[in-house]
Amino acid sequence: MLSPPPMGFELLIVLSLTIAATMMVIVVSLGIVIHKVVNTNLVRRRQRLYSAYSDIMAGLLLQELPALLPNARTSALFDQYELMIKSIKEQLVRMTPARRKHEREALRLALIDFAKDVSGEISDRLVYFFYSFGFVDEQIILLSNRHWWIRAQAARDAGLLKARRVITSLTAALEDEHPDVRIQAMESLARLVGVESLRTILRVSRNLSQWTSIELSTIVMEYNEAAVPFLVEGLESKDQSVLLFCIEMLAEIGFVTAVEPLRHLASEYPNVVVRAKAIEALGRLGDERAEVMLTSFIDNPFPNIRLKSIEALGRIGAPKAVPKLLKRLRQGELSEKIIAARAIASSGSVGMKALRSVSVSRDALNISVAEQVLEEFTVAQERT
Amino acid sequence: MIPILQIILHLYFLYVILFFIVMNLTYTILLTLSYREIMKYMRHNSFSDFRPMLQSELTPPVTLLAPAYNEEPTVVDSVKSLLKLNYGMYEVVVINDGSKDKTLDVLKKEFELYRSKQVYNPALKAQAVRGIYRSHKTAYKNLVVVDKENGGKADALNVGINVARYEYVCAMDADSLLEDDALQKVMKPFLEDSTVVASGGIVRIANGCEIDHGRVVKVGLSHKLLPLFQVVEYFRAFLSGRMGWQGLNGLLIISGAFGMFKKSAVIEVGGYRHDTVGEDMELVARLHRIKLEKKEPYKVIFVPDPVCWTEAPESLQMLARQRNRWHRGLLDVMILHRKMLLNGDYGVVGLAAMPYFFFVELLGPVIEFSGYIISIVMYALGILNMKMVILFFIVSLFYGVMFSVGGVLLEEISFRRYPNPKHLALLLAMGVIENFGYRQLTAWWRIKAFYDHARGKRGWGLMQRKGFGNVQSS
Repeated sequence: MLSPPPMGFELLIVLSLTIAATMMVIVVSLGIVIHKVVNTNLVRRRQRLYSAYSDIMAGLLLQELPALLPNARTSALFDQYELMIKSIKEQLVRMTPARRKHEREALRLALIDFAKDVSGEISDRLVYFFYSFGFVDEQIILLSNRHWWIRAQAARDAGLLKARRVITSLTAALEDEHPDVRIQAMESLARLVGVESLRTILRVSRNLSQWTSIELSTIVMEYNEAAVPFLVEGLESKDQSVLLFCIEMLAEIGFVTAVEPLRHLASEYPNVVVRAKAIEALGRLGDERAEVMLTSFIDNPFPNIRLKSIEALGRIGAPKAVPKLLKRLRQGELSEKIIAARAIASSGSVGMKALRSVSVSRDALNISVAEQVLEEFTVAQERT
Repeated sequence: MIPILQIILHLYFLYVILFFIVMNLTYTILLTLSYREIMKYMRHNSFSDFRPMLQSELTPPVTLLAPAYNEEPTVVDSVKSLLKLNYGMYEVVVINDGSKDKTLDVLKKEFELYRSKQVYNPALKAQAVRGIYRSHKTAYKNLVVVDKENGGKADALNVGINVARYEYVCAMDADSLLEDDALQKVMKPFLEDSTVVASGGIVRIANGCEIDHGRVVKVGLSHKLLPLFQVVEYFRAFLSGRMGWQGLNGLLIISGAFGMFKKSAVIEVGGYRHDTVGEDMELVARLHRIKLEKKEPYKVIFVPDPVCWTEAPESLQMLARQRNRWHRGLLDVMILHRKMLLNGDYGVVGLAAMPYFFFVELLGPVIEFSGYIISIVMYALGILNMKMVILFFIVSLFYGVMFSVGGVLLEEISFRRYPNPKHLALLLAMGVIENFGYRQLTAWWRIKAFYDHARGKRGWGLMQRKGFGNVQSS
């Protein structure tokens, strides 16, 4: 019979590991429970404070103020506002720093929520409160915080404060390293400055991601035709992502003044991606003036330009382009054949007749493509 | 002879301990990374407004691929649910993979399908397509049903990719349920970074949830033990595993139940492989491999809150088959991509992710079981130090509990899908109980997978599902 190996050091290691593991499990489990309890209490407390401040501020915002004398100083109105919030300020000063922090946060949130819905004199009153409580200066400081999420939150809130003092800081935030800060700054600037903000946004922006473009597009679409001059200005941008964004938006808004600059980009711009995007936009605008130019692009050696031109002609509906489109249907790759066939079908009776002739031709693939597109059109007609 | 055996056994026992330390160290690092990544995600997401994405012309359209095999009882509800997702422009491509039941017939009847003349472009090799169907009804104009010869899920997905109109394809199981906003959330990484080639969402267990017409209306927990164990397992795998790996761009798995891919990237690497049961992991591994070999920038992302609900097996037999299949799939991937293992040319994937999956996930059960056997042999020979074994067992138990608790903790501090404190307590308890029997059982199933793999077993095995029905609460 063999004797068991000597223990000692091994046992010590295992014991230490056991203790460490036990401690960790206890700490983690306790952490979960404490987190849950603390969080629940915190949420409840914040809600209570928020409700209390909402009630107080609603009363102050709706309170009738005595009429000012005709020769009253400009600052007299501000004196009245200051008097309204004097007691709250005094109470806040008396609190401990920790409590004051929570109370001020609840007050700030309550004021911001009001800011979303009010206008006129009440809005002015609210803006004064933001200044007077120091929230505006706080937001400006927070805009240069080292944590991006605090900067982003500050950028978002700065727009809701409606205080023009934050404009410079927000403009600087357009060049922040984090995209979320940039997006929040764009939205806030648009809220504060209006459509004019687009000039700065488009001039300063760089490397827009698709996500940022989508967010920015909502700002542009809010102003619709009023945004067109700024978008046309944006076509001069050296940044390709901004340029592509402006083209996309011009197509989306569909304003007639966009056709000429887009035609120029489609034919002259040195970059194929930008040209293809401009061609696509012309198609979406559906302006017949572009038809001749687009037809000339059907044979372009760059596939992207060729495909976008064919697609654009399909949108416009171009009977004169049918012979050239038929050539692409016969010679192109499968995807090009399908796009060409759709463009032919969109050009009216001439195109449909041409497509039917292809469907009885000799090339099996061309016949299949023609049949597919004819079926698509028949089903679409049935549906409408 | 005996002293040599004694030395060998002791050395092996030390090796098991060393393996155990390395494994738990890895888990700890992953848990820490996951925590950091989840916090980052939560902060980032708090500034994300998805409403513009739903309305914008700039939002790229998506093709949803739903392979169906013998799904006659549930397919209509599943498809209807997929057609109601909250996303701009998308199409649903249902691929009937040569079902032997009336899956196609019920689809044809319910959605008034006609046989379309759409040209089929076989960019990826797959079994023959019998027909492509579309609906006469305007409400279902974004539905495409493809009928094909049976070829397995991978083959069906390849056909789906061939038929897909759009650049982004979302692979999923026809019997899984997507939350309304799941597509928006899983698409966001592609919009933020043009180098993203794949992104996967979290899969959660639907057993015990209230489901109405393909929607989870109330989140709950099953009353049965097996699904409860799996809830904790899924937390560990998704929240503390995949989240950590994606932080290092070393994510090797995107669940087959819910994953979005850039179509051109999938076609570039040759689509799904037919000869493996781990086709989802294999595709992601191949994407990594080819992109790294070509030195092209790319990212594979895990997004922790677009939710896909799935039905977990409730019987030991079904669960055994599932785990056996997963492990055979993992083994396939390790064999097919062994070149990447410990190869510095493949960066994090070669030096961290592949070794982790090989040594911890693949060999872990073998080493764990061999530890049990060696202990028995040593006990028989009278050379076992019982104190040592007991302490080792306690330590392993505590680590097991800690990582399960860690997974639940990540859920609790982030998404809190189980708001009831009773649920939290139950899940924490499961994190302890699973270490007594369940863990050993799953390890045994995974060991058996080596034998089945060596025997040449390649199929999925019959998986019976209860189906969600209209209202389920078990």
